[in-house]
Amino acid sequence: MTLATDFRPRHSRLYRLRRAYFASPLTGLVTLLSVAILAWLAWIVLDWTVLQATFDADANQAICAERAGACWSVIANRWRIILFGLYPLDEQWRAGVACAVVALVIVLSCLPLMWRFSRLALVWVLGTAVFYTLMRGGIFGLVPVNEQQWGGLPLTLFIFVATGILGMPLAIGLALMRRSELPVIARVSGWIIDTIRSLPLLAILFTCAIVLPFMLPGFLIGEKLYRVIFGAALFFAAYQAEIIRGGFQGIPRGQEEAAKALGLGYWQRMGKVVLPQAFRLALPATINQFVIAFMETSLVVVVGFMELLAASNTAFRTGEWRFAYIEVYVFISAIYFAFVFGLSRYGAWLEARMSAGQRKD
Amino acid sequence: MDLNTDAIAISDLHKYYGRFHALQGINLTIRKGEKVVVCGPSGSGKSTLIRCINQLEEHDAGDIRVFGTLLDDNVGSIDEIRREVGMVFQHFNLFPHMTVLENCTLAPTLVRKISRAEAEKTAMRFLEKVRIPDQAHKFPGQLSGGQQQRVAIARALCMQPHILLFDEPTSALDPEMIAEVLDVMVSLATEGMTMVCVTHEMGFARKVADRVIFMDKGEIVEEAPPEEFFSAPKNERSKLFLAQVLGH
Ligand SMILES: Nc1ncnc2c1ncn2[C@@H]1O[C@H](COP(=O)(O)OP(=O)(O)O)[C@@H](O)[C@H]1O
Ligand SMILES: [Mg+2]
Repeated sequence: MTLATDFRPRHSRLYRLRRAYFASPLTGLVTLLSVAILAWLAWIVLDWTVLQATFDADANQAICAERAGACWSVIANRWRIILFGLYPLDEQWRAGVACAVVALVIVLSCLPLMWRFSRLALVWVLGTAVFYTLMRGGIFGLVPVNEQQWGGLPLTLFIFVATGILGMPLAIGLALMRRSELPVIARVSGWIIDTIRSLPLLAILFTCAIVLPFMLPGFLIGEKLYRVIFGAALFFAAYQAEIIRGGFQGIPRGQEEAAKALGLGYWQRMGKVVLPQAFRLALPATINQFVIAFMETSLVVVVGFMELLAASNTAFRTGEWRFAYIEVYVFISAIYFAFVFGLSRYGAWLEARMSAGQRKD
Repeated sequence: MDLNTDAIAISDLHKYYGRFHALQGINLTIRKGEKVVVCGPSGSGKSTLIRCINQLEEHDAGDIRVFGTLLDDNVGSIDEIRREVGMVFQHFNLFPHMTVLENCTLAPTLVRKISRAEAEKTAMRFLEKVRIPDQAHKFPGQLSGGQQQRVAIARALCMQPHILLFDEPTSALDPEMIAEVLDVMVSLATEGMTMVCVTHEMGFARKVADRVIFMDKGEIVEEAPPEEFFSAPKNERSKLFLAQVLGH
């Protein structure tokens, strides 16, 4: 009777697994070998990070050396300098709360629900104001803390977020200018983008931090930190503008024509028809650009800021913890990893959400 | 804008693409409520002509008046005319990132500043008119070509235009879907919409057109009521074209 079997699902999960991983003796062998290698690696990692590790906060080099695993004591003793750099010890709760504020700004900005000009503007302005007040102090009875003393995670997050908040509108502006019907505007934008892209980020950061003060009138100089963020934002914008331009190129000409024919004005066409589609097409590259921007925050160390990576370097620069640099690096790697991994998962989720219900013929 | 004058009045219209003289002195007047079918060989300037009416193409010389309003460099006049002139494209050009309903309410809410609720009500009325209300919450990519084109017609109607321009609305459709789109167009015609259709659907032209305009090489070569044009074309080029289109 063939009828009875027809009611079973054609391909059970087991069947699919077997077909994918054990289709032939060779694939079976490769599968087993890979699994074995992975298991071995996982074991080594687990062994080092947990099983053989020292967690005792009071331990020192000698005690840690008795066991073969990681010496997490270094983190227990030095986490404050890793996370907050040289921010005054008694005020570090402010830096902690500030971190949470930036994290909240990031999360809110990622929610499609918030993608209205007014809502984003509100979140960004409010978030920046709260962050600045907390970190800088000087009002509400908070002790003033100079930007030069900021450091660690809040500094890294702030530079990243500010770069994005300034850089993204700048990128959109440059990209729109580049496709302007007025040749002068298109050429100026192209020239700006190409110039910035031909300079290394380090040179831009140096220029903003050190050269700019000699060139600008006094009232325009401002804090070094903000000049550096401005430089990073310009750099981000130049690359992101080209990514958005790539998105524009994927949109059929008829889209804008239809919007024109319906009577939509320039900004309505851009805001409702062209940019949403361009961003959709440019999404993977955009996420990538944000990941790069996050990694590149660590470059500000060259102009004297103690962001996360630099702060971690100082964490083991004292005699007693000099041996435990691997643990420190593993710790901040975990932070970077959590962030970047979250970002790419978010990108994948967004992509799936956007393509839902849309079939390409 | 004066609804009592001619809907469209074009005089001595010229359009160049670089050196190429795409429209070579077009004179055309279309009364309110009139249905005009524009036909002619590919590359004869039909699209260019109707795209000049809502200024998707800028003309180089001559006057275009829509309900008395002269189209000039003044941006205001272009905005004003685009609000009153709807357009349906060969490739639908629906916005793929919006649902059918959102496609239909976008312009009324943004351009006419109608409330969302009001716009949705109007949109549903026109979606019913094109017999597709049940698809309102789908995305364009989930619809067949014929359905998409009917949504495109509804989208144009939602702006409640006085004139509708059609640029080969059935040319990109599979044969079995042409009829459903033409049916909608016929029913619009019987309701008194002013229509300018670039199409090679001769059956449609016979049924609804007040006039057929035959273009070739950027000029209007012949202009006649449909029976006359189809049975006794005067111009050699029209005869040749008809022979090719009608297949004898
Ligand atoms: N954007 C353009 N640039 C250059 N030439 C064009 C452009 N659009 C149309 N043309 C030319 O103008 C002529 C008329 O085009 P069109 O109005 O699209 O013809 P039709 O719609 O009758 O097929 C064609 O020869 C075409 O190649
Ligand atoms: Mg054409």
